[in-house]
Amino acid sequence: MTTPEPHRPPPATDPRRPARVRVTAPRTSAKPSSGTYPVTREMAEHSAVGEVVVGSLIRSQLRLALVVAGGFLIILIGIPVLLGLFPSIREVTVFTVPVPWLLLGLGVYPLSIACAALYVRSASRNEKRFQDLIDEG
Amino acid sequence: MRADEVGDAFGLNPAVGYAALLLVAVTTLLIGIYGLRISRTTGDFYVASRTVRPWWNASAIGGEYLSAASFLGVAGLILISGTDALWFPIGYTAGYLMLLLFVAAPLRRSGAYTIPDFAQARLESLAARRITSLLVIVVGWLYIVPQLHGAALTVSITTGLPAWVGPLAVVVVVCAGVMGGGMRSITFVQAFQYWLKLTALAVPAVFILLRLGVEGLPVTDGGAAFTADLNTTAGASLYSTSSLVIALLFGTLGLPHVLVRFYTNPDGASARRTTLIVLALLSVFYLFPTLFGILGRIYTPDLAVPGAADATVLMLPGRIFDGAAGDALTAFVTAGAFAAFLSTSSGLVVSLAGVVSQEFFSGSVRGFRRAAVLSTLVPLVLALLTDSLALAGSVGSVFAFTASTLCPLLLLGIWWRGLTDAGAVAGMLAGAVLCGGSILTAALLGPEAASLDWLRQPALWTVPAAFLVMIVVSRATRGRRPAGTSRVLARLHTPEAPEHRLAGSRTEPSVD
Repeated sequence: MTTPEPHRPPPATDPRRPARVRVTAPRTSAKPSSGTYPVTREMAEHSAVGEVVVGSLIRSQLRLALVVAGGFLIILIGIPVLLGLFPSIREVTVFTVPVPWLLLGLGVYPLSIACAALYVRSASRNEKRFQDLIDEG
Repeated sequence: MRADEVGDAFGLNPAVGYAALLLVAVTTLLIGIYGLRISRTTGDFYVASRTVRPWWNASAIGGEYLSAASFLGVAGLILISGTDALWFPIGYTAGYLMLLLFVAAPLRRSGAYTIPDFAQARLESLAARRITSLLVIVVGWLYIVPQLHGAALTVSITTGLPAWVGPLAVVVVVCAGVMGGGMRSITFVQAFQYWLKLTALAVPAVFILLRLGVEGLPVTDGGAAFTADLNTTAGASLYSTSSLVIALLFGTLGLPHVLVRFYTNPDGASARRTTLIVLALLSVFYLFPTLFGILGRIYTPDLAVPGAADATVLMLPGRIFDGAAGDALTAFVTAGAFAAFLSTSSGLVVSLAGVVSQEFFSGSVRGFRRAAVLSTLVPLVLALLTDSLALAGSVGSVFAFTASTLCPLLLLGIWWRGLTDAGAVAGMLAGAVLCGGSILTAALLGPEAASLDWLRQPALWTVPAAFLVMIVVSRATRGRRPAGTSRVLARLHTPEAPEHRLAGSRTEPSVD
């Protein structure tokens, strides 16, 4: 594979395009990139109060994730357990399609999307609450 | 049955196969070249400069994720094992729910390029980084092999060429594409390939259903398609089903080619939106392999033998339509299948090459290209030396391995302050040895292991074991907790500032 650089005009002439750069630094010796951070976030990271607030954000996010994952898994495990307990459900059909096929082939997908949507909303709300707390402090 | 024999037994019109393969290869290369023109910086090359919009990114993730196992394997498995097979697409999809819940936003905020970068930043340890790199490379290689097996099957069925041509063609196209454009161009290619794969199944499915409806031919044969009598494999035990689901759910969140996609999101919140869209895209996609599998139970029961079942999707259109219509629809599904091998393999090669080049070639773009060649050659050799029995099954083993190694590192690294480098390394090695060992033993035992579910589907015990070792060793080596843990965790979990806040803060004096 040849490098096509010689065929193009020097990139720096067009201000809208970022110049082509050559980066050769081994990532192993690189510091974690610092990036741009808002002052509020710096404070949250360094002060004792900030640490408490961040800790509570992490805990509430983890609790939320565990609750959603747990709920989903219980329903998922519930399907084979239910079919095992009440084998007569297997005989029920909708348009000739047996209920186990419907549940596993169709039903689980809307369920997982609903769980995901619920989580995205609640997680953003947790973050918003954190942001408000930091802004006040 | 070997791929060659399946090809001989069920061969299709070769012209159709050639046309489909050529079309996908040329389109992929063209989009890759277009991407190269706009791929300008190293950031572009590795993570598309983190500016990919959620819809694009989600399509790209879908394109990359829907591999041979999804496109061909799911329908094949439904053909031979009925409802038990439905757990595969459920696991493949719901894995993204777990990824969303536990990994998506924090990983994006970590600012790392690859999983080894994450390990190093979180654990401040070069040894942990090296072990993680090694595991990522192994997972990537193992995952590419079934893709190449799928390519061997597809090419020999559709063109009648020998089975080694398929893997070689995939490797050549992937190398060219990856070396050319890096991540930026691959994003376009992958996004295109999700929609290609979806159309390649949806259009034939619609035509097939229309024809069956118009001619009054059976769709489910009055429910006969669903009877367990059609299964040619023994029913799965509750243990092996739950073990499989654990492997798929938690394996997804460690897959290197999936994770690298999350770094291309602008921020943590959009990483979440992206995952939500991926879930929806996958849910829509998997309806079609399921439909093909069910129809296959009526129209292609002769394929229900190991090695041939994966051809269901390719053969079905030709069984229902004769002549030109059948050829056209077959060309369609063939193109989709080829796209599946290409996109998953190139996604894996990109993420592998990223890791290999940073580890061994000092991270330059030239090193990335060398690493790309290296990352494809090893699986090519492996694929040519081995035979595939069922695509969905072999991919399932890779998921189990990932779930037992990289998944505990990510979950505990993101959510638990107490993780130490020693704990992480010990846990990953324990998971790798236990899970890899069981799968290898089962493979070596061959048919004798058929009843040994705990060896063939080890995830249910190896994943908890890996977590346990990681936690116990971390507790025992409390003194090694990295000094920067609080800072890293705060960065992983606190939201990025909105644009205006970010702009304002630059002008304020620094507080520290």
